[in-house]
Formats: sequence, C-alpha cells, structure tokens
Amino acid sequence: MTAAQVPLAAWLLFAAPVAALLFGFFVMRRFKPEWTHLPILASCLVVTGAAFWLAADVYTGHSFDLNLFRWAGAGAFGVDFGLRIDGPGVAVLAMVAFVGSLIHLYAAGYMKGDAGFARFFLVFHLFYLAMIGLLTSNNYVQLYLFWELVGVCSYLLVGFWYKKESARKAALKAFMVNRIGDFGLLLAVLLITLQFKVTHFHLAYLKVVSGAPLDLLPLIGVCLVWAACAKSAQFPLYFWLPDAMEGPTPTSALMHAATMVTAGVFLLVRSWPLIAAVPGLPHAIAWIGAFTALFAAIVAGTKKDLKRILAYSTVSHLGLMMLALGLDQVGAAIFHLIVHGFFKAALFLCAGNIAHGLHQSTANVDDVGGLQKSMRLTYLSFGLAALSLAGIFPMGGFFSKDAILDAAWHHGGAMAVMAMLVAAGSAFYIFRMLFLTFYGARPGQKCPSDIHEAEPILGIPVLFLALGAAAAGLLKGPIERFVVIGFRGLPGGLPELQSVVLNLPGEPLLPALNPVVAGLGTLMALLGALAAWRVTMSDPGFDWRWRGGFAEAMFESDFGWKTAMGRCASAVSWTARFVGRVLDKRGLDGLIEGTNGFARAAGAAVARSAQGRVNDYLWWMGIGTAVLLGRVLR
Amino acid sequence: MTALNLTAVVWGVTGALFFFGLAIVTLRRQLLAMLLGLELMLAAVNVSLVHHAGIFNDAEALAVVALVIAVAAAEAVVGLSLILRMRRGGRGADAALLTELQG
Amino acid sequence: MSMPLTLLWTLPLLGAVVCAFMGKRAKYAALAFSAAFLGAALAITWVARSTAALAVVTELGPVWAYGISYRLSADSLSLGLIALTALLNLICVASSWKLDVSAGYWACFMALASALTGVFLARDLFFFYVFWEATLIPMFFIIGLWGSSNRMHAALKFFLFTFSGSVFMLLALLALVSAHHRVTGVWTWDLALLDSTTLGAAAPLVFWGLVLGFAVKIPMVPLHTWLPDAHTEAPAAGSVMLAGIMLKMGVYGLLRIALPLFPVLSWEALPILGGLAALSTIYGAFCAMAQTDLKRMIAYSSIAHLGFCLLGVLSRTSQGLVGGSLQLLNHGLTTGALFLMVGFIYERAHKRGLADFGDLASRAPYLAFFFGFSTLASIGLPGLNGFVGEFMSLSGALAALPVLAFLGLVGVTLAAAYALPAFQAVFWAPEGPGSVSAKVTDLDFRERGVLWTLSALMLWIGLAPNAWLAWLEPSLRGLVR
Repeated sequence: MTAAQVPLAAWLLFAAPVAALLFGFFVMRRFKPEWTHLPILASCLVVTGAAFWLAADVYTGHSFDLNLFRWAGAGAFGVDFGLRIDGPGVAVLAMVAFVGSLIHLYAAGYMKGDAGFARFFLVFHLFYLAMIGLLTSNNYVQLYLFWELVGVCSYLLVGFWYKKESARKAALKAFMVNRIGDFGLLLAVLLITLQFKVTHFHLAYLKVVSGAPLDLLPLIGVCLVWAACAKSAQFPLYFWLPDAMEGPTPTSALMHAATMVTAGVFLLVRSWPLIAAVPGLPHAIAWIGAFTALFAAIVAGTKKDLKRILAYSTVSHLGLMMLALGLDQVGAAIFHLIVHGFFKAALFLCAGNIAHGLHQSTANVDDVGGLQKSMRLTYLSFGLAALSLAGIFPMGGFFSKDAILDAAWHHGGAMAVMAMLVAAGSAFYIFRMLFLTFYGARPGQKCPSDIHEAEPILGIPVLFLALGAAAAGLLKGPIERFVVIGFRGLPGGLPELQSVVLNLPGEPLLPALNPVVAGLGTLMALLGALAAWRVTMSDPGFDWRWRGGFAEAMFESDFGWKTAMGRCASAVSWTARFVGRVLDKRGLDGLIEGTNGFARAAGAAVARSAQGRVNDYLWWMGIGTAVLLGRVLR
Repeated sequence: MTALNLTAVVWGVTGALFFFGLAIVTLRRQLLAMLLGLELMLAAVNVSLVHHAGIFNDAEALAVVALVIAVAAAEAVVGLSLILRMRRGGRGADAALLTELQG
Repeated sequence: MSMPLTLLWTLPLLGAVVCAFMGKRAKYAALAFSAAFLGAALAITWVARSTAALAVVTELGPVWAYGISYRLSADSLSLGLIALTALLNLICVASSWKLDVSAGYWACFMALASALTGVFLARDLFFFYVFWEATLIPMFFIIGLWGSSNRMHAALKFFLFTFSGSVFMLLALLALVSAHHRVTGVWTWDLALLDSTTLGAAAPLVFWGLVLGFAVKIPMVPLHTWLPDAHTEAPAAGSVMLAGIMLKMGVYGLLRIALPLFPVLSWEALPILGGLAALSTIYGAFCAMAQTDLKRMIAYSSIAHLGFCLLGVLSRTSQGLVGGSLQLLNHGLTTGALFLMVGFIYERAHKRGLADFGDLASRAPYLAFFFGFSTLASIGLPGLNGFVGEFMSLSGALAALPVLAFLGLVGVTLAAAYALPAFQAVFWAPEGPGSVSAKVTDLDFRERGVLWTLSALMLWIGLAPNAWLAWLEPSLRGLVR
C-alpha cells in the first residue's frame, strides 16, 4: 500500500484541524476573535465524519499501517512517521472525535464573552489535533510527540484563567507530574530504540511474539507503566487530576474525562504485547488499578466540590480500566474507555451547566440543592449518566462494568472483592452527588431558586452525550469486533506484514453476560445507592457534612498523600536553592572570584621587596654583581 | 718584598677598602657618606689597577685608571649637586626619604 | 573555487572597518554588510550541498615558517555554524536598531562575526587559534562598554577566564606540533596531517590541555562560572551572539580537533567527560531554578542544554553525533530568541528580575506567545527543534554509557521545573508592588519579524529534521566508532 492509496478521510483527520488552526490564529484571532469557533466547529464536523468513515473502513476489514516519511535518521538510526488505522485506535478515535465535537459546541456557548475566547478555542483544538495524532501514530516516537503536545495543551488550558493563583499552581502541578511520567515514556522509547532498533509498534510486536530473548523488556515495561500511571492518574501520580479542575469545564470534560487521561490506558493497549511478555507486570498493573479504583472511590465520596467528585471518579474508573488490562482483558478495557468517555463528559458538562447557572466557575454542594425542578434537562442528563456510571441495567455502563467485574470475579481473591467494593463505592458517590444536588435541601445548602436551565447550545450536547451513555450498550458488538481486528486481524500497509495474521497477547472478546456477576454487581450498586440515600436524604436533620478534625484533614489531603507529595516538591526547591545560591554562587564562583584577592595578595607580598629604599637596591645590585662575576670567572 | 707578596698585600688592602666602601654605601643613610663610600670603592679599584698594570706591564690598564679617575670626578660632581638639590628642596640628605620607586 | 571562503570571513571584517568610520550612520552599513554576509553564507551552503565531498577547500599561499599555512575548508558542520552566525548577526543588528550606541558597537559585532567565521573555516591550527582568540576582543568590548551596571567586572572575568583556558589549548597545540616535528622532521600546523601518535607518553597531557581549553568555552561544570555574569551584564544582542554561537565554539573544537586527533583517548575519557556533561545538565537545571533574574536563568539553562550536546557528541554513535551537532544549531536559535526577548523587555523597562513583572500576557500577547513558544522549544517539546537534538543525543548516550542517558533524562524532566515557573511569574502572575509591567508595550513589526523567522525555523527543524540531519551527517561520519 502506498501513500496514494491512503483514504482521503485519513488526510482530512489532520488537514482539517491544521487548516482551522492556521485560519483561526492568523485571520480570526486578529480580526474577529469572537468568531474563532466557527472554522473550528467546521473542522470538528469534518474530523468526526472522517473518523466514522475510517471506522467503517476498518469494520469491513481495511485497516492499515503505513510509514509516510522519515522524520529523523543518521547512519543506522532512523525514525519514520506514519499512520496506523486499526481496530482499537479507530474505535477510540471515533469516540474522541464525536464527544470532542459535542464539547466544542458546548464550549462555544460556555466560553462566550470570555476575554480569552479565541485563545481558548485555538488551544482546545490543538489538543483535539494532538489527541487524534496520538491515536493514529504508528510508532513510539510519534506517539511521544503527540503525548507531550497533549500535556502542553493541558497546561495551557488548566491555567487558562491564569489570573487565579490556584489555576497557575494547578497547571504547573499537572505539567510537572506529567513530565515525571514522560521521563518514563522517553526512557522506554530510548530503550525500545536500543533493544528493537525500530520504534514501530508492529515491528516491535513481531519481535516480541517471535520469542527472541529481550533482556531490556522488563525495564521497558515498567517505564511504560510508570508513564501510563502519570497520564492516567493512577496511584501514586494521580494527585494532579483533582487540582486540574481549575480549568474551564469544557477542558475538564474533554481532557480529564474522555480523552487525555485515557491516553495512558491507550499506551498500554498499544504496548500490550510487550507488557504481556514480562512476567508479573500485568498482575502489578491489575493491583495498581484495583487499589486506585477503590481509593479514589472512597475519597470521591467525601468531596464537596462537584467537579472534584467527578475528578476522583475519573481516577477510579481509570483504575477499573487498568484492572481490566491487568487481567488481560483488552476488549473490556477499551469498551469501558469508550463508554466512560460518554457518561463522564455528560456529568462534567452538567456540572458546568450548574456552575454557569450560578454565574460561577465551579460549584460546591453547598451552593446547590433541590435543582430538580429548575434544571430539568440537566437533571435528566445527569440522571442518565449517573445510572450509566453506577452500572445499572440497561445503561451502557452496566455492560462495560460488567465485563470488568466478570474478569475480576473469575480471577478471584482480593481483587474480586475490591472490584465489587468499587461498584458499591461508585454508586455511593454518584448518587450522593445526585441527591445533594437535585433533591431536597439539606442543612447548609443554599438551594438557589433563581437558577434557570442552560441555553440550548449548552443543553443539547449534554443531552446527546447522556443518551450516548445510556445507549452505549449497543456498541458492545462493534467495539468487540474492532478489538478483535486489532489483535487477531490482518493489517494492511506494511510490507513485512502482508498476509501475516496476528495473534497478539490480550483477550479481545468481551465476556458473555454472567447472571451471578451481573446480579452481584447490580446488588452492590443498589447497596451503594441506598447508603447514599441513608447519608443524605433519609434523615432530614442528619448533617451530611464531615465535621472537622482528623477525618477532615485526612480526606482533604487524600489520606496524607498530597502532603507527602508537597514535601517532595519543597525538597526539590530547597535543593535548587542550595545548589544555585550556596554551591554555585558562594562556592564555585567564590573560588574564581577569590583568585582576584589571591592575585592581589601575592602581588602585595612581592611588592614588599620594592619599597623604594636606595640601600636595598644597592644590596641587590651588589649581590647580583657578585653572583654574575662568580659565574663568569669560573 | 717579593712581587707576589706585594700583590697579595695590594689585593688585601684594596679589597678591604673596596668592601669597606661597599659597606658604607649600603649601610649608611646619609647621602654624603654614601658618596664618600662610592669614591672609596673607585679609589681602591684604581690602586689595584695601577699595581697590576705594573706587574703585567699593561699600558691599557693605566688608560682605564685615567678613565676611572675622570668618571669618579664627574660622578662626584653630579652626586654632590643632587645632594645640594635635595637639601635646598627642604628635604634632608637622607636615603630613606627617596621613596618614589616604592611599590 | 579559491576565493569564496576567504570572502566569507573578510566580508564582515570589511564591514567592521567601514562601520568604524561611519559615525552616526554606522548601523546602515552594519545592516548592509550583515545582509550580504548572510546571503553569501546561504549561497555557499546551497552550492556546497550538492558537491560530492561537501568540502570546499581553499589553500592559499606558501607554507610559512614552522609550517604555518593559510588553509580554509568548509563542510556541512562548518557551514551550518557559519550560516547560524550570519543569521544571528543580522538579527542582532536588526534588534539593536533603536539603541543609541556609537559606531564601535556595530563594528564590534561585525568583527565578532568575522572572527567566528574564521574559527569555523580554519583548518590550520595556528589560524584556528588566532581566530579563536580574536573572538574575545570584540566580545570584551561589547560587554565592557555597552553592558549593564556591573559590566567591567563581567567583561574582565569573561576575558581572563576563557583566555586562561585557551592558553592550555595553545600549549597543547605547540606540544603537538613540536612532537610531530621531532618524530617526522616536518614542521606543520595542518590539522589533516597532524597525528597524535607522535606524542607518545605526553598524549594524555595534550588531550586534557585541549579539552580544558574547549571545556571552558562550552562551558562544562565546574568551569562555567564566567557564563552567568557575562550573559547577565552583556547587552541583549551581545548575549544572543555569546549564547548563540560562541558557546558552540567549544563543542566545535572538540568535534574538529580533539576527537579526531585522540580517538582512543577520548573514548577512554568518556566516563569522566560524559559524567561532567551529565552533571552540567542537572547542575545547570538546579541553578536555573534558583535564579531570580531572567537572563541568569536562561544562562544556566544554556549550560544544561550544552550538556546534552556534549553527551550526544561524546557517545560517538551516528545518532548522537549528528543529533548533538543539530542541537548546536537548535540551541542557537532557541536561546537566541529567548535572549532577544529579554532584551526587548529590558529595553522597555530597564529591569529583568522575575519579581519585577507580572501579567504581561494581557499587556503584550505577542511577546507572551513568542516567549512561550521559545520556552517550550528549549525544554524539548516534541514538534519543535529542541526535542530532535535531545532525543538523538540521549539515544546515542544510551548506546554508549546508559547511566549517562538516565542522568540526561533527569535533566530533561528538570528543565520544565525552571522554565515554566519563570514564564508564569512574568506573564501570568498578577503584578506585585514595584512592577514595571506597564512599561512593556507589545512587540513592534521589526521585532515580530525577527521572532517569526526564528520560530518558523524552530518549527521546521522540529517537524521535518531529516533534511537537516542528512545534510550534517557526512561531515561527522568519520567520528563514529
């Protein structure tokens, strides 16, 4: 397959956003900034169409993997860039494109009137482009390029309202923690270059699957997992995500719910053949995922800021995806990734609607209460998405969560218990949020009565997303097929791969509905909902707020982890100040400046022999003459 | 006395006078004394030269003696005028006051 | 083809002489000669790229006493650095346009460009040394006469420090030449003919003498302390030339002289030299984090970035060598842009501390955009030029000595820790008391043009570096182990 045979849709995936960005930056931003969103929305439409077209192509068996140009080469070393349109990639791409377009539309209404409207849309669309690039990369270096670009866009968007100090700090924290993860990814990429001589995904798969001894593979695997933990906010590197809620709501919805944070999971999916070949690593991933899921679910139930509850919920669901991957269930992980994108985005945008209605940038449970009557559309969307999140039949979330619970159940042991507890915890926090926000007033809530429903441009995308979350169960079959194509299929394009049928490690098939697991899962969800009801609604006088003291301190600092990380950061600053001010300025530079004083002192010492006394000079003359004469006469 | 003995005596006396003069020049602070010491050194050298001119029948040495006497006279004139200059300028004729070359 | 290379270094020198006599109008002469110089450099680069051996050799005149001959040659590495010199020279002239300086300022810049070109062209070690030292004189005057408050101290420190290093280099060169004479009976300073095997037991001394001279220039920790002061006190255009080109002389010297002459010895010294390079990366990053002056912070970041170049170059793999060399050009572009912008800010506000500004993003959005762009390029954002060089250098270092690559990666991670907080403090944070942000107006057309050129180059090299790498590769092939 040559570059000429690449379908137009693949070119459009990149051409449309680039054109929109250039047009928006050079033309719109200068002359009519409030119209910057128009070319960008057009580009979103084109990209979504192209993504669905490519998905249809792959569904009928036309996936491909093609090198387009040599990016960098020297001697025997070479990195090529190209496109990989295969099952898992195009499935996630379709979700990202569709959800992203809806969020772009929402943002056009949400950010209207903001002074940085043009800047927001340009960076937002750049992020969209970077995510598309990440999902269609065919080698590790290209993936790393888009991975970092996504991180930078995240920095610029979280810090969008840069006048607020909390936003600036959150942006820096997000970028630095991601950078620490990128350290792992870059090390992995360099090691892959060393080990495999190529960075191309598929060629690496072939080498691993062929069974050749690869001694750097464990280190590569660990580095990849480290990078994924930072990007997908797993313990211990998750703490940037809650603070990243400082960004505008569309940012939180797109980046931190549906797309960017899933890049980590996607990296592991792409690298699954490498990771599965390292004994013990998948198991470790499963444990990290399970622990994070449970930890985050518990913490989510204690938070008061609407967006922060959702942030911890994201961390928890990412943990579930990691758990699925760790149990070798690639199909289940991708399915949950896609369904999660829908319901989480819907939930975030509902929170955004509420905040918008209150004319604030974010909302606390204290500011709301009893919004069921005043914000019907938001209530409906939120309800659908919440049911999906909790995994209640027949919502999409039921099917995706069921797949993961099934895998955990069959694995048995503590993991099964933790997974069930996560199901209960998820239901608890989301229903707590639902009850506190939309149902009757609780002590301490403001219950605003003048709040009204959001405009259509804000309401319609949310509704679509919520309906998507509800109906996502229908996607089970197609997604399974995509993953099967990706892991068991026949990729076109690369000459080395013609007529090679894949059989990569990882289970692409989704499990059939197991009544025991489904029943148990639903039971746990109902228990969680009941607990939420008990805590928030049942007793009118019961104060649902955590009272101060140890419990509050614990929950504020995420059981002490945030304080620990804060201490690490201050240690680094202290080292920097020590090196920069003491070691360098006083130490090394002092040594150099000291040569000045040393030279002066030495000069003064020598100058003492030249005091201007004639007698001394005469002495020197006498001695000198005598010595010379002695030499001459000898 | 034999020629050798006389030479030894001359070496001894002129040498002593030379080093005596050197000592006066380097150790004394009064400029006039230093000048006298210089003259003493030159005179001692002259005497030695005259004796050795006689020993070796060397006429050029006697020419050098004449040269040295002229130089000594000239240098005494210059030195004395410099000392007078110093005394007239208000400073004493003291080598310790000549510190322009310090440092 | 015997004239062009001589033209290349005499053209700016002629410009310097003309400027010196032009008085108030000197800047027009400087602009004309800079543009002509850039044109000539690009033309020769274009022609030479299609020449088979990529070398345009000039050999002029007989061999003088002690084998000194006038010998110039230009391969892609030299031409790349010369083109960078010409570009940055023109940019310096353009950005200093509004300054009220005497004719000597322009003359110094032209003379500096001439001497730098000579360094990159010379293949006779005597002339190499002469041009090497000749670069110090204009730079001394630029810092000492037109710099900031503490300029004399900084100029003197710069001159004495780098001069002392070069003295060791001179001793080493003399030892090499005389050893060659002793063994073969022939006096020659020709780089292609000299051979370190004639040195016998004195080889390590000569090697380390050379390395010392180059290490002061690069600069390698712990010989770097002249750099922060020199950069801080120099005028903006002076910093651009200093960071943009003069620091590259050290790595160029290693590539051209030390590594080819001492292949085995330089490989054995890899743990020490590589360790110092990795130390420079991390040490420079930590120091940069502690700074409160913008220029000082960028100066320390230069130390960190050249540590990467060095890691790549010392690894002697093809990707390390070519990537490290490309990083020389990249660093010139990004750090040049950053110093230019700090210069623009200083021109307006006469201050450059991090605490003296705030909220500049709303007052000067173009400045914020370019500063952010260049900052991201310098911390190695993929898609911009810094990443290519860093990636290939680290890849090379990993193949040579893995622990060095690991330390280098730590340096990459730390880079964001000093660059972004500084960016935030100046552009995003609110104005503190005593802030002079009000004086900083946005960039005008001339300044924007200069920065667009640099940014476009950064993007081009970042997205499609292969053309540049393929161009540089032949001149470094000989050094690969």
